[in-house]
Amino acid sequence: MKVFLSLARLYLQSFYNLPGARRRSGAASGAQRVAASRPAANFRTMLKAVGIGLLAVFVLANFGFMFVSLNLVLYDSLAPLGLQGFVLLNAVILASVLTLLVGFMTALSTYFMNDMEFQLLALPIPPRALLGAKFTAVYVAEALLSLLVMASAMLIFAIKRQPPALFYVAGSLAGLLVPLPVLALVYAAQIPLLSFARFLRNKQAILVVGGLVGIAFAIVFNLYYQGMMANMSDSVWLLRNAGPDSVLAQFGRAWPPAYFAWQAMVAPGLVGFGRNLLPLAAICLGAPLLLIVLLGGRYAQSLVGFNEQFIRKMTAPASSGFLADRLRTGNRFWSLVKREIVGMNREPMYFLNGPFIIVLLPVLMAVMLGVQREALLEGESLQALTGLLANGAGTVVVALAGAFLGSGTSITCTALSRDAKLLPYLKSLPVPAHHWLLAKLVHGLIFAVFGVAMAALIFGFFFRLAPLDLAAGSLVGLALSFLCNLLGLLLDTVNPRLSWDNPIAAMKQNPNAVIIMLGVMGLMGGIAYLSFRFRLTTGQFVLLCGGLPAALFVVLLLALPGWAARRFTALEV
Amino acid sequence: MLEFSGISKSYAKSPVKAVDGLELRVADGEIFGFLGPNGAGKTTTIKLLTGVLRPDAGRMDIDGIDIAAEPLRAKRRFGYVSDNPELFARLKAYEYLNFVADVFGVSSLDRQQRIDHYAGLFEIKDVLHGSIGSFSHGMKQKLLVIASLLHDPANWILDEPMVGLDPKSAFALKEIMRQRSRDGKLVFFSTHVMEVAEKLCDRIGIINKGRLIFSGSVAELRAAQGADSSLEKLFLELVDDEAEAQP
Ligand SMILES: Nc1ncnc2c1ncn2[C@@H]1O[C@H](COP(=O)(O)OP(=O)(O)OP(=O)(O)O)[C@@H](O)[C@H]1O
Ligand SMILES: [Mg+2]
Repeated sequence: MKVFLSLARLYLQSFYNLPGARRRSGAASGAQRVAASRPAANFRTMLKAVGIGLLAVFVLANFGFMFVSLNLVLYDSLAPLGLQGFVLLNAVILASVLTLLVGFMTALSTYFMNDMEFQLLALPIPPRALLGAKFTAVYVAEALLSLLVMASAMLIFAIKRQPPALFYVAGSLAGLLVPLPVLALVYAAQIPLLSFARFLRNKQAILVVGGLVGIAFAIVFNLYYQGMMANMSDSVWLLRNAGPDSVLAQFGRAWPPAYFAWQAMVAPGLVGFGRNLLPLAAICLGAPLLLIVLLGGRYAQSLVGFNEQFIRKMTAPASSGFLADRLRTGNRFWSLVKREIVGMNREPMYFLNGPFIIVLLPVLMAVMLGVQREALLEGESLQALTGLLANGAGTVVVALAGAFLGSGTSITCTALSRDAKLLPYLKSLPVPAHHWLLAKLVHGLIFAVFGVAMAALIFGFFFRLAPLDLAAGSLVGLALSFLCNLLGLLLDTVNPRLSWDNPIAAMKQNPNAVIIMLGVMGLMGGIAYLSFRFRLTTGQFVLLCGGLPAALFVVLLLALPGWAARRFTALEV
Repeated sequence: MLEFSGISKSYAKSPVKAVDGLELRVADGEIFGFLGPNGAGKTTTIKLLTGVLRPDAGRMDIDGIDIAAEPLRAKRRFGYVSDNPELFARLKAYEYLNFVADVFGVSSLDRQQRIDHYAGLFEIKDVLHGSIGSFSHGMKQKLLVIASLLHDPANWILDEPMVGLDPKSAFALKEIMRQRSRDGKLVFFSTHVMEVAEKLCDRIGIINKGRLIFSGSVAELRAAQGADSSLEKLFLELVDDEAEAQP
């Protein structure tokens, strides 16, 4: 038990990059350790914490708002039919499905974290403790998600009906318990899968599969949400899809945890509790136990031989031919850029959390626009919309979407952090400091161009914008995303995250990425406000929102060989 | 030729100096071994010399070029093998070699010949199309060594290059060092392997707690310590004496 607890703590710390893990990890450099005791550094640590906190609040509020509004509409539509209880069933099922999908991805991508797992395998740890600890670490995030869903449903009931206190107890317990059997199922599927499918036992394959599942999940969820919201006024549709005979309800009755959780909330009394919460707890606690007892050993075995790579050796003549073929001089600066591109985009962890956004968001947008196209393009609303878009709004929309896609790749604002391990070597090469920075910027700009093109493509296609409007919007989008990329690079030069053992830390948990993301969103909001408030003409819009950032970009570019290069040279690694 | 004069460095303004007032001169054609206990300041010295870190005081010249004043010119004069070969895992081996060769402006013909020669010597020619991430520690180490020789530098600086090399490759590495020295080129490397230092080096330097406590040939060290023992014994005694001298 003691082993299990300290293992669970270790996993929790390195999953969520809690301070304990960083302090204990040997890789935290002495410099950082010494610096941490200084007030300036403390302030910086605080800033980071505040930044990450802001992001968390932002994301939570976003999802919370979505769930609450969904439940509110659902309640208002079902209450007249006396079926408001189904809102709760709906919430329980939503929590189950969400934890299934998120759990599937989290469990898969953390199945084998890094070579730390090999060291754990070499320790005398019972395999069941190993699986149990990992389960616990994944469960924590799942429980939070599930609680969020349940809380959003309970909030509606709190406002509309003032249920007894026991209702909230039941709801919270349900929120905590529901993910447990779901996650057990996930592992029960993944452990045999990874034991037998060798090709999956590779971080790369796992991340690719995870990314695809992620897209599929995002699309399905989007469709579900859009469909729900679009058809709320149609009571026949509603009954069919959320009423007592719907697939959802049937599924709810067939999946006992959902049924018991739902009943416990509908009948929150001591008797109801005994009849519903006890079986719920038994199932939900029993499932993980069963999993750990039965599959613990298999799980530990499936970790063996993870990340094996196979290189086929060349024959002697083949290798001579290969060398003559592939070893060629190239342009020096382009060589630097190529290294940036390959180094980032061949690492699935970086690619999926960075440049992949250029593919992911447009796919989502296209699906959304595809679904709503009929609604958008019907009769009067169509006329209003085309009128608005032709009057310059189309340019603004393309510009903002382009700016977002072009700046959201997190390429430049993590460029130095990602290179932390390489910096000593790179700095020993005869390359001027600002060339390194410039190469990082060019990498960001190349993807910015892709992002803007993607935005122009989608909106141009769906809204049939005039070519001139499209060009104007793309120009502004380019100017904005170029500026944001440069700002991101400068930010990561001032405050890179250099001590990490897991690439996630350089990318996902990099406060610079968060700051730039929030900054871009703020900028977009500001520009949208400006352009509509002052009814800017397209010409004015291009001049103000495109020309100004472009000028600023050029001015800031001067900082690269000067101030930024000096910062880079002074970095101690 | 390498010259350190009055080099000092402390990390993050920590009061303890990682390198303290280093004075040292290494001549062309010399193989110089840099010894010292863990944490003595060997890697720090090498990072200072290669321009990775900047000294708090003092100056360093590589072939008479001040590295602080003319970093690019100075950096073209040496090849560097860092102590950590776990780099560039996502690149293919030949991509990495092309990258370094491009940075140094090595012609296609030169890079092909040199890579063919050294990769043959280290027996990794048949995997140069593979991803570095799939290489063993020793294979990565060899790749780093090859990359450092692509521009045939006058000065070769290596940080613990023997770690993880099999006997045959370690032998090949020592042979390359000897050959370069015969050609009048300089080799500067840190190591913990006393036999290698004793047999290979023209001169050694011993650093402890950031201060150079000896530099000269092994024979000179014997004379100074007044004992006719192995370098291993001499080294241990010298470092112990130091510890007693300043508790
Ligand atoms: N990045 C860093 N930040 C702070 N202090 C450091 C850093 N790197 C090294 N030090 C400190 O500098 C001193 C010298 O370290 P250095 O790495 O130069 O030793 P070394 O002689 O190479 O040791 P080893 O034989 O273990 O490689 C040590 O006290 C070490 O703690
Ligand atoms: Mg060292």
